Amino acid sequence: MNRSQTTLHRLATTGIVTLASLILFLQAPAIKADETCMSPYMAKITGQEDFVYVWTLGVEGMGDGQDKLVTIDVNPDSPKYGKIINTLSVGGRNEAHHSGFTDDRRFLWAGGLDTSKLFIFDVHSDPAKPRLHKVITDFVARSDGVVGPHTTYALPGRMMITGLSNNRDHGGRTALVEYTNSGDYVATHWMPTDENLNGAKKGGKYADGYGYDVRALPRRNVMVTSSFTGWSNYMMDFGKMLKDEEAMKHFGNTVVVWDLHTRKPKKVLDVPGAPLEIRCAWQPNHNWCLTTTALTSKVWMIYEDESGEWQAKAIADIGDPSKIPLPVDFSIRSDDSGFFVNTFMDGKTRYFDLSDPENPKQVYETVIGKQVNMVSGSWDGKRQYFTSSLLANWDKKGEDNEQYFKAYEWDGKELVQKFSIDFNKEKLGRPHQMRFGAYSLYSQKPSNPLNKHARLQ
Amino acid sequence: MNWYRSFSFPGQTITLTGCRLAAGWFACSTSFAGAPLPAINPVPQPEVQLLAPGWGELDYTAPEPGSYQLPPLAFAADGVVLDSEGNPRHLHDLFEGHVVLLAFIYSSCSDINGCPLATSVMHSLFKTMQTDPLLRGKLRLLSLSFDPGRDTPNRLRLYENGVVGSETTDMWQFLTTASATELAPILKAYDQAVQPEFGPDGEQSGAFSHVLRVVLIDQHQRIRNIYSASFLHQDLVLSDVHTILLEEAQPTVSEIRINSSVSHLSGAGDFKRGYETQAYKTRSQSLETRKGKPADLLKLVNDPPLGLPAVPIPHENPLTTGKIELGRKLFFDRRLSLNNTFSCAMCHIPEQGFTSNEMSTAVGIEGRTVRRNSPTLFNVAYMERLFHDGRESTLEQQVWSPLLAHNEMGNLSIGTLLEKLKQLPDYKGQFEAVFARGPTMETLGRALASYERTLLAADSPFDRWFFGDRSVAVPKSTKRGFDLFSGKAGCAACHSIGNDFALFTDQNLHNTGIGYRQSMGNDESTRPVLVSPGTYLEVERSVIDAVGEPPPSDVGLYEVTQNPSDRWKYRTPTLRNIALTAPYMHNGSLATLTEVVDYYDQGGIPNENLSPLIHPLGLTETEKADLLAFLNSLTGSVIDLLVADAFAARIGDPGRNDPHWSHAVSENKQ
Repeated sequence: MNRSQTTLHRLATTGIVTLASLILFLQAPAIKADETCMSPYMAKITGQEDFVYVWTLGVEGMGDGQDKLVTIDVNPDSPKYGKIINTLSVGGRNEAHHSGFTDDRRFLWAGGLDTSKLFIFDVHSDPAKPRLHKVITDFVARSDGVVGPHTTYALPGRMMITGLSNNRDHGGRTALVEYTNSGDYVATHWMPTDENLNGAKKGGKYADGYGYDVRALPRRNVMVTSSFTGWSNYMMDFGKMLKDEEAMKHFGNTVVVWDLHTRKPKKVLDVPGAPLEIRCAWQPNHNWCLTTTALTSKVWMIYEDESGEWQAKAIADIGDPSKIPLPVDFSIRSDDSGFFVNTFMDGKTRYFDLSDPENPKQVYETVIGKQVNMVSGSWDGKRQYFTSSLLANWDKKGEDNEQYFKAYEWDGKELVQKFSIDFNKEKLGRPHQMRFGAYSLYSQKPSNPLNKHARLQ
Repeated sequence: MNWYRSFSFPGQTITLTGCRLAAGWFACSTSFAGAPLPAINPVPQPEVQLLAPGWGELDYTAPEPGSYQLPPLAFAADGVVLDSEGNPRHLHDLFEGHVVLLAFIYSSCSDINGCPLATSVMHSLFKTMQTDPLLRGKLRLLSLSFDPGRDTPNRLRLYENGVVGSETTDMWQFLTTASATELAPILKAYDQAVQPEFGPDGEQSGAFSHVLRVVLIDQHQRIRNIYSASFLHQDLVLSDVHTILLEEAQPTVSEIRINSSVSHLSGAGDFKRGYETQAYKTRSQSLETRKGKPADLLKLVNDPPLGLPAVPIPHENPLTTGKIELGRKLFFDRRLSLNNTFSCAMCHIPEQGFTSNEMSTAVGIEGRTVRRNSPTLFNVAYMERLFHDGRESTLEQQVWSPLLAHNEMGNLSIGTLLEKLKQLPDYKGQFEAVFARGPTMETLGRALASYERTLLAADSPFDRWFFGDRSVAVPKSTKRGFDLFSGKAGCAACHSIGNDFALFTDQNLHNTGIGYRQSMGNDESTRPVLVSPGTYLEVERSVIDAVGEPPPSDVGLYEVTQNPSDRWKYRTPTLRNIALTAPYMHNGSLATLTEVVDYYDQGGIPNENLSPLIHPLGLTETEKADLLAFLNSLTGSVIDLLVADAFAARIGDPGRNDPHWSHAVSENKQ
């Protein structure tokens, strides 16, 4: 493959594909769109991605000791393939965690779970060299006390941001916060609590008010959120926390189904044991999303039943739950046929077959490292990327504290490592979330003369 | 169709025929057959204008027990009453850990929607209790007369016989008072207004005008519902009672971790009681409604609550309203830390007893481990030594330790913090107005100390009994607990009580063995980890150690004095408001007061420096329960005032106009 291939493929809320995008869609070589965990509203890369942007936590005493956006060249046709081509330090250790593009994919929003800052990077002017465009420093004050901006999720013209905590008690009660793409505060949508369910139905015993991830199923006018824990726990030394029974009571046990249009919570579902990442199905007849619970090691399906009611059910175990393998990130395939899920404690990734979506079956596993957290797959499913860091104070200690970015190819049966970058050795810190970039998204050619030849042949 | 179905209440006037009405409350009237008193007129009036829902079937399905909350409304006051045998009894002794339905009645009442309704509903409940093992022994019915003049114990006994039969039962008791003097404070406490009615001749008619009040009280003496005639219905009462019992069914901890018997604002907003059981249900409070009301804190200090001495105030830092307000602003300002994430209040959380109920030892900036439990700031004004190891002497000096500690608020120097404050627009002129000079090491310490000094919490039930000479302020169990506390159990040897006030601390440091156990004890090879409500997994020690830093060492007072005989000595904490400040001990290693009492009962952990005051106590279970009753009586009455005041404080977070290097970046782009 000589050129990166992309499709600007935007699904409107109604499911109508605009004429322009339909034309582009038809020009694409296959039914492909993008890294599969991102917003359906967003512009897509359907072919080979050029870059992976890695949002990386600084480590006290290592290198410049601060968070940074690390850009890695991942196009095999580039002379810099497998190399770090840019690092952009942003000041401070903010507990860099997740990031997400705006719907037009011109800006990457990256949150800091500790300082609650949002760093907005310009990734369109020169995709090989992101620039810091703006820092939102008053997120907590504007949002009425939401702490820990986590998921930055593209909705048309705006970003939906999940919080993890609050400025009153540093616990898990929190809210969704909405901003415009230009960085202006819009609204705070508090997670439903018993005291204020805000019209939601309580489907079980819990309405904890906790938050973590958000995804939308626009065709069903549904938004789904999950629940993790507050600042006190996600910043605490992991070993200390496991020994503190009171602290262990402060994990989320809920998934909330929202009315996407009104931003009103519809139903609070019991999903015990800290449901984290949410991946919604891509196929038009699949009215479900999956989530995995970190502490209880299960895959849960959030689905609309025949009567139109949203429900949650556990559909599989991940590893041996009694050992607390700690499932973290997972990545679903674009045709909903399977997913990779990482387990932090044993450093493994596992592939589950989803031919029968209600009965996922593990068909493959391999060790990626001594610890593993994030996994990102290309839309065509051929490439999977992994990073190591979970949270600054949750990562393993001593020799087990490997910090890496690893690129793999997947032939449907086996993962084959293509290259690896040691972030400790490079004195960069703890690599966390990965987002893909491509010149073709912006109708650009490579600006770097060194890879010009390779790109334009 | 049920004949009463069509009634709306309150609402229109409905005319009934006598026979229908008689049929309608047939069960009730027959149950009183044999009662010689005109307690309930069995011959109904031909016209009844309104009939309360309690007389018929509920028009809607009663809510599912446990599907809703009954937030505590108020403390259910004690009082001295007479039972139908004429024995004086404390209401709190009669409550005895039961859910209680308390009705104010008088036996000659004839208003069908008043006392007879209450008695009828209670009678239905009484019958249900006789057949329902879940309720029997857990629910108690109390009918208290507000007509002591006529409702003597004798007369009540006859009434009782007519209603429940001649066998006396604990399940439903009929009470009166010795006189109107005894009755008045009870009626006041329960907000029961009663007016004697007068006939045309100006004489008292014997009837009373009153609003029907039936009060549902939980096992912890908190009022959870107040029924009026419009919704006093046995189905609703049963739903409410079961809702309360469900809460209690959850915890295995045998006591209230958060005792709201005095303060309803206290308690973590994220309710976790019973999380260790499958029955756990959330009862989370919404953050958007966490609002408060500023209080006059200077007034509180000038006139300290009962049980506290005059507040010692350093002559160089006299207390003023301006200083208190500036100190409070600083206390809740997260910008006082290096990265704008930590205020004093992140570890000293107002509704959590100005400590943290949610972890055993604190975490500081960037999540760094702090090795000790956050101490409560209630009554810190009286502490002669600060920190668990007593290393600091004044609040003015103390504030700088957490501000500068690498693992607390992380400021790199005094100067950088003061310079930062000078540049924050909302502090412009604030220090100058109070101190006639800007932020300095001294003025910042004085302002923060001034606010902390106002956090006085006493006038507890114990104080009202012990220092206020109000014998009815506490039940007998508390008094027995106090006798143990100052006698057999020996607690008062360190947790001192004076003649005119009590700080519950000797201001000294002791080795109880808790610190020794942490430093020298061996860890077990596996330990249970709670992974979701009611689910524990046994986790290998090696798995936990792989993701944890080794715990920091802690040798207590020795670290200050370097004297080996001071190893693992820690400051005697005050016990005031102890019900609000779990978990306990300097390292938060004991989750409940029950565990604390058990720990001392077993004589601590032997080690060469163990205080000679610690030895096995040989307490019986009843004695332990009495000690707990005593400890739970130490919660001050002004807590809500302080918490509401704290809720009203603005939390300081970075604003758009605060200086930040990145603003230049943004501006250049626009």
